[in-house]
Amino acid sequence: MAPFLTSHADIPSMIKKIILPTIFAILTYGFWISPDFKEIAAGVAIFLFGMLALEEGFKAFTGGVLERLLRRTTDKLWKSLSFGIVSTTLMQSSSLVSVITISFLSAGLIPLAAGVGIIFGANLGTTIGAWLVAGFGLKVKISAYAMPMLVFGVILIFQKSKGLKGCGYILSGLGFLFLGIHHMKEGFESFKETIDLTAYAVEGYPGVFLFALIGLAATVVMQSSHATLVLIITALAARQITYENALALAIGANIGTTITAIIGSLGSNVEGRRLAGAHLIFNLATAIVAIAMIYQLTHAVDVVSAWFGIGSEDYTLKLAVFHTIFNLLGVLLMLPFINMMVRFLQRTIKPRTRTGSQPRHLHSATFELPDTAIEAVRKETLHLYDNASAIIAGGLSLDLAEILSGRPIDEIITNSRKPKDFDIDENYDRSVKELFGEIVQFISRAQATMSPEQSEELFMLRAAGRDIVEAIKDTKHLQKNLSQYLGSDNEEIRKEYDQIRSSLASVLRELDAVRQRGDDSTAVLSLDSLKVAMRKYDQGLDYRLNTLIREDLISAPMSISLMNDNGYAYDVTQNLIQMGEALFSTGERRLREAERSISLDKGELDEILQNSENSKP
Amino acid sequence: MNIQKLLEKTKAFLDTAERKRKEKRKYLKHVIKKLKKHEKKLIARLESEADKATRDKLEKEINLAHAHRKKGLKVLKGLKKANKSSQGGSGV
Repeated sequence: MAPFLTSHADIPSMIKKIILPTIFAILTYGFWISPDFKEIAAGVAIFLFGMLALEEGFKAFTGGVLERLLRRTTDKLWKSLSFGIVSTTLMQSSSLVSVITISFLSAGLIPLAAGVGIIFGANLGTTIGAWLVAGFGLKVKISAYAMPMLVFGVILIFQKSKGLKGCGYILSGLGFLFLGIHHMKEGFESFKETIDLTAYAVEGYPGVFLFALIGLAATVVMQSSHATLVLIITALAARQITYENALALAIGANIGTTITAIIGSLGSNVEGRRLAGAHLIFNLATAIVAIAMIYQLTHAVDVVSAWFGIGSEDYTLKLAVFHTIFNLLGVLLMLPFINMMVRFLQRTIKPRTRTGSQPRHLHSATFELPDTAIEAVRKETLHLYDNASAIIAGGLSLDLAEILSGRPIDEIITNSRKPKDFDIDENYDRSVKELFGEIVQFISRAQATMSPEQSEELFMLRAAGRDIVEAIKDTKHLQKNLSQYLGSDNEEIRKEYDQIRSSLASVLRELDAVRQRGDDSTAVLSLDSLKVAMRKYDQGLDYRLNTLIREDLISAPMSISLMNDNGYAYDVTQNLIQMGEALFSTGERRLREAERSISLDKGELDEILQNSENSKP
Repeated sequence: MNIQKLLEKTKAFLDTAERKRKEKRKYLKHVIKKLKKHEKKLIARLESEADKATRDKLEKEINLAHAHRKKGLKVLKGLKKANKSSQGGSGV
């Protein structure tokens, strides 16, 4: 391999290495020659800090409400679109909405089409920000609101309650946003007295391209199109840029925001990369249309502004109108092709080749949202179970697909009498060990930001993973004698080992049936029927074993093996039931807790067993 | 509403254990309702089923659903009792 070839994971770090010193050098030079520039840059920094605080605050409330809402947006396109618009409007951050969407996609909770719908909506949602800044931020003395917000906000941050802390972050975040806007405004106002930036304005299409490029670069550097837009509006208000160039900057910012999403998605899974692809296609197509039709759009802005009573000289509000029209135009243009786009992305962006042991749902993006992280762990543990059940079936010299088919179990057992040469250790190393390790590692990292109840949930999932591994180990112990006695001349011992196989195959089939019932909240309770069957089998075994020994149908070593192996089969069943109870239960956490609280204990199971024995004629 | 009652209500609201019990009751009621529906559905299927093996299986499922529902009602009763005793305690 040529040494100059770098993996794509290195590209962002390489870009960062070059960009950061360059930005520092430009800023230092700027601060040195102009104190006004310093004030504008500080305004941007404070604004961005406000965005961070705002995101932090909203994260406190994402545990539940936002995730439940997002889960309900998957069925209809208009719902995902509205979710994108409303959440971005409320949170004033399309990047947080993107992060949530990517984490939901990677956890497999929403389909790509819904994710694309949310991103389209988020693009529309950002236009509200421009209206707020242009209509409110510049018309009133915004810093007067910032100070009390910061004071109250910081006091709230020091509170212990998660909710109050979240409110504190939101309030201080808004305070910093306002303060940032104020400093940008002031900076441009005084800048005007020393330098006239409009002297550098470029007219016509060269200007459009140049300023679109500047807008793009500014957004990539600041990682926020919202910040770029506020900077454009404040500069426009101070007449430091021309209206035409401001429009081009806004178009550039729209493309820039996708580049940050692409860089962010490089390390994510295939769904995250596809979403970033959709984002790029949407914003690039919208930008191309906007640039091509810039003069028609400017005319449309004039007409709409006049209709809304916006003065022809009120360029900041006109910029907000433009921003809305061009994003709306993009949504209207792309909406009919959303399914085509999804198909195209699925065709072009393929998952990286992965083995069965590689995690499919664990993604660091989900760390931000505890409930989503829990769901990702649940899905990954189900993946672990899929791999493990194939091993267990193989260990019993059976085929999992056959077990899960509708064919009678007895027929399957009779048709697979020949012991399979199946290496459990090798399969365990290949498809379980590494994956379980990844799950455990993810859990310990995700736990850091979780509430005690959420940690408890993760603890249960980790225990389910351990149950799966234990079940494989018990199957391995079982396999040795099973392979030996399957080919035995003694029919009785063969029958007994077939009985073990049949009972474990039934467990795998029943577990699959419960898993398929998924959303039915009582499904997981029916696992108690397996417990009843397990106890019944165990009780029947003693009697059978006594008969077999008494009548000299099996030898003493055979009876010892049978006793031990039934013990292993019992443990496999018990471990798998425990795993099923933790893993197959879906829906809200409290509902699952309620289900668990009425799961039957040993005494109650025995009572059922007794009743069923008594009711026999 | 007199002050005493208002204080009791505020205390009940602030009492996390009581709030949690209330929430648990709500979800438990939901599960019990579902189990009742499930049981009824199984009984209806049993009535129209002729095959003996399927009938046996259905009977087992009905017994199980019934046992779960019975346990659910017992847990619910316990929660109500705990709630009442904590309310009684606050009045002293």
